[in-house]
Amino acid sequence: MMKRTSPRQELKKTWSSMFETGRGARIYPYLMVLPAVLVVVGVVVYPLVYGILSAFYDVTLRTLGSGKMNFVGLRNFERVFADPVFLQASWNTLVWVVLNVVAQLGLGLALALLLHRAIPGIGFFRSGILVPWVVPSVVAVLTWRWMYDPSVGIANELLLRLGIIDDYHPWLGDTATSLYAVTIESIWKGTPFVMLLLLAALQLVPRSILEAASMDGASGWRKLWHVILPQIRVSFAIAAVLTFILTVNNFNAIWLMTEGGPLNSSEILFTLAYKYGFKRFDLGMASAVATMLFVGLVIATTIYLKLIQAREGD
Amino acid sequence: MTVHKFLRKSAVSAAIAIGLGLSPAMADNIVFWVNSPLASGPDAPIYAEIKAFEKETGHTVEVQPVAHMEMERNLFVALSGGAGPDVMALDIAWVAGLADAGLIADLSEKSKPFAAEYQAGPLASGRFDQRQYAMPLYTNNVALFVNDRMLKEAGIDKAPANWDEFHKAAVAMTNKDKDTYGLTFGGSRMGAFQLYSFIWENGGDIIDETGKVRVGEPGAVDAVDFLAKLYTENHAMPESVLTAGSWDEVNAPFIQERAGMLISGDWALSALEKGNPKLEFSVHPLPTGKQAATVIGGYNLAINANSSVQDASWQLARWLTGPRSVELMHKYNRLSATVAATTPEAIAALPEKQRPFMQQADAGKARPVVAAWSQIHNEIIANVWDSVLRGKPAKDAMAEAATAIQGLLGQ
Amino acid sequence: MQIASIHERPTKRVAMPRIRSGLSLPKPLGKFLTYATLWVAFVWSVFPFYWMIATSIRGKDEIFQRPPNLVPHAITFQNYIDLLVGAQFWRFALNSLILTISVTIISVLISVTAGYAMARHRFKGSVMLPLFMLYGQMFPPVLLLIPFYVQLRYLGWLDSLYGLIPVYLSYMLPLCVWLMRGFFSQVPFSLEDAARMDGCTRWQAFWKVILPMARPGIVAVATWVMIHTWNEFLYASTFILSEKKRTLPLGLSGLIGQYTTDWGVLMAGGVITAAPILIVFFFLQRHLVSGVGGGAVKG
Repeated sequence: MMKRTSPRQELKKTWSSMFETGRGARIYPYLMVLPAVLVVVGVVVYPLVYGILSAFYDVTLRTLGSGKMNFVGLRNFERVFADPVFLQASWNTLVWVVLNVVAQLGLGLALALLLHRAIPGIGFFRSGILVPWVVPSVVAVLTWRWMYDPSVGIANELLLRLGIIDDYHPWLGDTATSLYAVTIESIWKGTPFVMLLLLAALQLVPRSILEAASMDGASGWRKLWHVILPQIRVSFAIAAVLTFILTVNNFNAIWLMTEGGPLNSSEILFTLAYKYGFKRFDLGMASAVATMLFVGLVIATTIYLKLIQAREGD
Repeated sequence: MTVHKFLRKSAVSAAIAIGLGLSPAMADNIVFWVNSPLASGPDAPIYAEIKAFEKETGHTVEVQPVAHMEMERNLFVALSGGAGPDVMALDIAWVAGLADAGLIADLSEKSKPFAAEYQAGPLASGRFDQRQYAMPLYTNNVALFVNDRMLKEAGIDKAPANWDEFHKAAVAMTNKDKDTYGLTFGGSRMGAFQLYSFIWENGGDIIDETGKVRVGEPGAVDAVDFLAKLYTENHAMPESVLTAGSWDEVNAPFIQERAGMLISGDWALSALEKGNPKLEFSVHPLPTGKQAATVIGGYNLAINANSSVQDASWQLARWLTGPRSVELMHKYNRLSATVAATTPEAIAALPEKQRPFMQQADAGKARPVVAAWSQIHNEIIANVWDSVLRGKPAKDAMAEAATAIQGLLGQ
Repeated sequence: MQIASIHERPTKRVAMPRIRSGLSLPKPLGKFLTYATLWVAFVWSVFPFYWMIATSIRGKDEIFQRPPNLVPHAITFQNYIDLLVGAQFWRFALNSLILTISVTIISVLISVTAGYAMARHRFKGSVMLPLFMLYGQMFPPVLLLIPFYVQLRYLGWLDSLYGLIPVYLSYMLPLCVWLMRGFFSQVPFSLEDAARMDGCTRWQAFWKVILPMARPGIVAVATWVMIHTWNEFLYASTFILSEKKRTLPLGLSGLIGQYTTDWGVLMAGGVITAAPILIVFFFLQRHLVSGVGGGAVKG
């Protein structure tokens, strides 16, 4: 390659001309997509198939040790449905996802609009508001757990001083508050990313459009609703899908704060799958839950994106 | 002194001679997963110990520290992926599951000549289905920590030695206005772990040697009821009992001098001293009920069933758990599980506050070594404690637990 | 930082459009409200991090004090000294750095090309392909540990940093491609056509016109990859075995004790781990501002 007589210039020309016209123009999008597809397909397909198939086999510590796994059909699913915790975990998952997605998108958008201004000190605020996202998840979660602690928790102390509570409260130990206490941490951690995505999208809103809207005398809210949001709707939809996926698969927050307790009050399907898989070492049941989550996520995102596309088509 | 040293040295070399006798004199490479607190840095005592082992045997050892939190999961992934270390450190609660799955090697034959060197309780924690699968690396048990000042101010001049005194002391140190409590205790599985000693002390059991589930019987039920009422009726435990899932959270009220008593193991000593250097406390054997008992914890060493260096691995396991472990564990402020560590001289050599733990070592009892133990402990008993604290009658909760455990064992 | 170097010419900062999202208020009041809200958001975001710092520099006997002191009484940097003096820390940091840089560069390159192609061209599968890629992300990652392990073992890539790269890429790329496609689809491609009419090649048009406009998106994507690689724990803790190859998050988890944890040291470790990323982002956030600026797009 190096010793070729044809100079680099020429090679470049051939390359470009290949893409400019004819067949090249048609293949090159495929070429550009190829590396991404290769990596993802090459690495993920085997584990994914393995994960889904495990749901239909009896994969436990015992069978893994002996190497003999039997096909059991839907038995793993039956066993999951028979577990009373499953129903509670499903309901908790719903609450967990709705609260997280709504709050993260809402706060993220508000923060993006707030930070999308050329005012003095904005870089300082932008960096500060990004902090939760940067802190390593394990340490962040343990810090929150420590802040909630009924013996030394600073959150308790601050709420007490503000007069919101009369006495330290075991936020993570009360079945009525545990799920919400964890949710607050998760919102704190997840919002900055949404903010960043939307902030980046806001940069691409053409100023001419905003100026035109201002000249028409549109008020702040109307401008936001009719001018800005439609412009960033693709990014917003993507942020929604990503937040959705990341929330369903957010494991650290609940696992390190409550392990799904007390009395399963903060159990979500993911932590349940983890318990089945890595506490009971029953990967069959764990994969059954995971497969259901997977199918649920696939269906939900596909429908959502179809709806968005349908609206775009109008 | 020199005689002592000589004896120890010859014991070691005898052990090695036996080990070497079984294997061809070949240098093997052993991969060793150790729980990271034992290998916290390049100058952790275990490295010197392993160097001595390498020098003596010619084998090489690759030490890979794994955090306690990840050890169980990583072992599971590696072993079921057909790989994993040759020698592994296991929390004693994990032995049964791995042995049941045939993933760790049966050491019954190899360990037989040395069985008498280990304390009975810790050794039993490595025994599953009448076979020995793991050797105790270090042991611990729980004792009673008492805040001397608070006890005195409550008008009691002697640390409680039985349940009656224990109850009285807990109630006496409770004062709502001063925000003080008698006893700090764990929630969920942390609390479950603390319960076991009391169940045994009350003549109850969880699963007995014959495999019979006994959590529904009065001995066990009354013990749970006794402790739970300290919270629900006497308010002698702070609310942290509802959430405390780590020892730091259990210790906190004791460190703050808001709780007069704490039930914990020797690991609490350094944490208490660091957290509150001015704290004046003493350590006592657990107050006895119908009998004395204390729950055993600690780590064992086991060998991968698929390891290609079985003999060398055994040599390493034996080296670290054998006679030398007294000195090695001393460097970590932990307790060796050998009988040699329980002699009066060995106990006298321990720091004062560590002595009660070794003194009550005879009363130490291992948790049931059944394959489903993780689930029984983490889910069933932990849930019993959580629900009893929140007002469910102990009798009902334990009866349900008995049925659930029965179901698991029947599988 | 690598993102900044993509653009060979420094772009001028263009004043951003002012978006007033509130009701029309008198100017000083509006300004006050803006800053007040910013401060509230700032305190909310930063407080737990502040608490980490405060815990890491207070004396060990102060950690369990009740009520907790908002500001540490006696300050000590012993925890930091203990961590930074040990050779281990620097090795972990170096490993993390190598891993993060490689994964970030590779995933940005791949996702920019793929995202651009998907947004710009309608081809067979241009709509469904990214969705399919995303599906791979929806299976709970913990349950993929065993098959991943088997796969890496088969390839002989266990216990190596380069073995982690494909695993991370497979985890990051679907999201990155998605994000990039989203950002590119907002770029007005009429500009590209105009540039090509002016005689630019397709490549030049992409490089000089499209890329600068997509810069905020690229920075967002790069930040995402960077942060997640830097902090990734689950895969690293399972696939990295030897001490020498550990990354910072693994070092951190080693600080969590089996029974009790030295909170001061752990928090110091958390602060040290987060600090480099915070500093990088502080410089990177300027580039969240579009290179060409929305204002340039007219007609």
